[in-house]
Amino acid sequence: MKKPRRSMLFIPGANAAMLSTSFVYKPDSIMFDLEDAVSVKEKDSARLLVAQTLQLPIYKQSGIETVVRINALNTPYGLKDLEAVVRAGVEVVRLPMTNSADDIHELEAHVERIEKECGRPVGSTKLMAAVESALGVVNAVSIATSSPRLMGIALAAFDYLVDMQTERGDGTELFYARCAVLHAARVGKIDAFDVVYGNVNDDEGFIKEATFAKKLGFNGKSLINPRQIDLLHNIYAPTAKELDYAKKVVAAAEEGEKAGLGVISLNGKMIDAPIITRAQSIIELAKYSGVRREN
Amino acid sequence: MSYFSDTAIDYLVVNITDMPNDCQQIKQLLKLANLDLDPNVTCFIVAKSDDKIIACAGIDRNIIKCVAIHPDYQGNQLNLTLIDKTIKYAYEKGYFHLFLYTKPENQPFFKGCGFYPIVEVPNLVVLMENTPVGIKQYCKQLALQRQPGAKIGSIVMNANPFTKGHQYLINYAASQCDWLHLFVVNEDASQFSFDDRLKLVKAGTTSVHNLTIYPSSSYIISKATFPTYFLKEAAKLDQAYMGIDLLIFRNYIAPALHITHRFVGSEPFSDVTRAYNDSMRYWLQDEKASCYPAIELVEIERIKEDEMIISASLVRKYLAQKEYEKVKQLVPPSTWDYLQKALH
Amino acid sequence: MKIVQEATAGTLESSDLLVKVQPNQGVEVIVNSDVNKQFGDQIRKVVNDTLKILNVTDGLIIIDDKGALDCAIKARVECAVLRGADDQQLDWSKLL
Repeated sequence: MKKPRRSMLFIPGANAAMLSTSFVYKPDSIMFDLEDAVSVKEKDSARLLVAQTLQLPIYKQSGIETVVRINALNTPYGLKDLEAVVRAGVEVVRLPMTNSADDIHELEAHVERIEKECGRPVGSTKLMAAVESALGVVNAVSIATSSPRLMGIALAAFDYLVDMQTERGDGTELFYARCAVLHAARVGKIDAFDVVYGNVNDDEGFIKEATFAKKLGFNGKSLINPRQIDLLHNIYAPTAKELDYAKKVVAAAEEGEKAGLGVISLNGKMIDAPIITRAQSIIELAKYSGVRREN
Repeated sequence: MSYFSDTAIDYLVVNITDMPNDCQQIKQLLKLANLDLDPNVTCFIVAKSDDKIIACAGIDRNIIKCVAIHPDYQGNQLNLTLIDKTIKYAYEKGYFHLFLYTKPENQPFFKGCGFYPIVEVPNLVVLMENTPVGIKQYCKQLALQRQPGAKIGSIVMNANPFTKGHQYLINYAASQCDWLHLFVVNEDASQFSFDDRLKLVKAGTTSVHNLTIYPSSSYIISKATFPTYFLKEAAKLDQAYMGIDLLIFRNYIAPALHITHRFVGSEPFSDVTRAYNDSMRYWLQDEKASCYPAIELVEIERIKEDEMIISASLVRKYLAQKEYEKVKQLVPPSTWDYLQKALH
Repeated sequence: MKIVQEATAGTLESSDLLVKVQPNQGVEVIVNSDVNKQFGDQIRKVVNDTLKILNVTDGLIIIDDKGALDCAIKARVECAVLRGADDQQLDWSKLL
């Protein structure tokens, strides 16, 4: 099983202090932001800072996936960002405001050219699409299946809700978009990331929203405060009971296989392939998340 | 959306003439730091928490003034960020070379912000600039104008406008020295613009051949831009101003040009001017004031016209009263030509 | 390349540095650091290497360091130089 992508921590690209310490929080992915978090005056300096920070061996050693959110390609900064970060060895490029598969194809063509120019293996730069508009949500399936480089699709709420002529509330306003993006991700067999929870001082609200997103099936969530990482990982951690059951399922499956049984049962219930797969992934997840602390 | 913002502090640019509420808060904050609002500062960079101003730094063209941080918020990242934002603001306005006056005890903090001390008047004030090479480079430029000789004179004047008195002082000083360096104060707080004042000085001194005329730089301090906000007593303020101005002259400008003498017109005799001249003598000559060589102060009695001592202020007074014949008596022909053109 | 105008990059915040560049004959580097005694030589080396890569021939570079990592020093020096230089072309293959 691949490493989980539960937490994607946003780090403003112009902030040297945050860039040089963010790995200590151990999120699954770190997203250096060159877009909204960076003022127009600092676009050039943030680009250089992120490119140099990506050279730090610590990110490779710590196993944290590096993501850079570039500016949209129709801005004066997007292509320059891309030139810098692909050469700097970023693992994933996140494209904001993705409206269609064509946006990804355009990005992909540039990435491939830069990979060739700088001698990076073609295809080694992964892509991620952020959907932030009604059009993007409606096109989610074609976006999610647009490229083998695509590792995930994220819903970004702020611009989407403006586009929908509504505002952030109890989650009703995002329900359709969450489901649409999530289905697209599953069709494309890529990961799905839920929106940022903006109020960093409201742990209760965060837990509620993240629990809901996990239930829907999201792989993870974008975060803007490192304090939220542990809360989120705990939500994704299996309970002791779940883990115990999963271990039993796997043990029974192994027993059954040894014995050459076609049908395996545990406590009188039949366990089939999807149940075994699910059990294996819970055991794997527990290696990263531990067992859930109940409060 | 704010990143990592457990305690949100916003940094804003405030023009206090438009924002009476902010202005009031800034005044209170300055008061806590035992400072006044400097009359030349209208633009502040402020740090706000919960809509309350917790730190401020004023900017008057290229001089940072009135820096104060609320006692509850001292000793964290706030002060550095505040100064950083202030420096950036000044850069955006085109001022790269920045100065600040502060109490000597704050010197270490501002050193940490990239400011370097130029001169210090003990216990009163230190002048700092945001480059380690500013005054050094200025002196390097000056040194190119160095002239041979054992007796090198100097005069600093405002010439607002240039009178027969100025002319006499220059002629006399030049006759006493191997070379004379003349600095015309470069600031536009005077009635006559700097360009005009400089032109008139040049026009009135064409017959003097051992003379170099300079526009004064940021390193000759104008009383008009000297901050008034942290020294409440007038006597201390004068002491601080003279100390800063004359120490720069003695420690940097004079050595660069090998200046040995400074010439001044004597003021009409009074206790105030005697104190002023004593103070000037102290900063330029006393070995307690500076470890650099003493510069001999030479006072020249001012010349008179009709029993009146000629001064630029008298010229300005007659001009205001439209007594042009009297003006004509007090200024050289070159200045009179200019004034006549200006009057029409 | 030459520094032809004054420019800055970076901040005075902790773990960052403020780089100021201005025109000068030849290259001159001045480092002012909270950690100067311990790391002054290392900072100077990173700055000099970066200037060499950028092929800076003339400029005064003033560094106010607040305990930045080498990668931040590199990035800020690059940025200040590019902002103040006559030639804004970037050769990423050399920069990284």
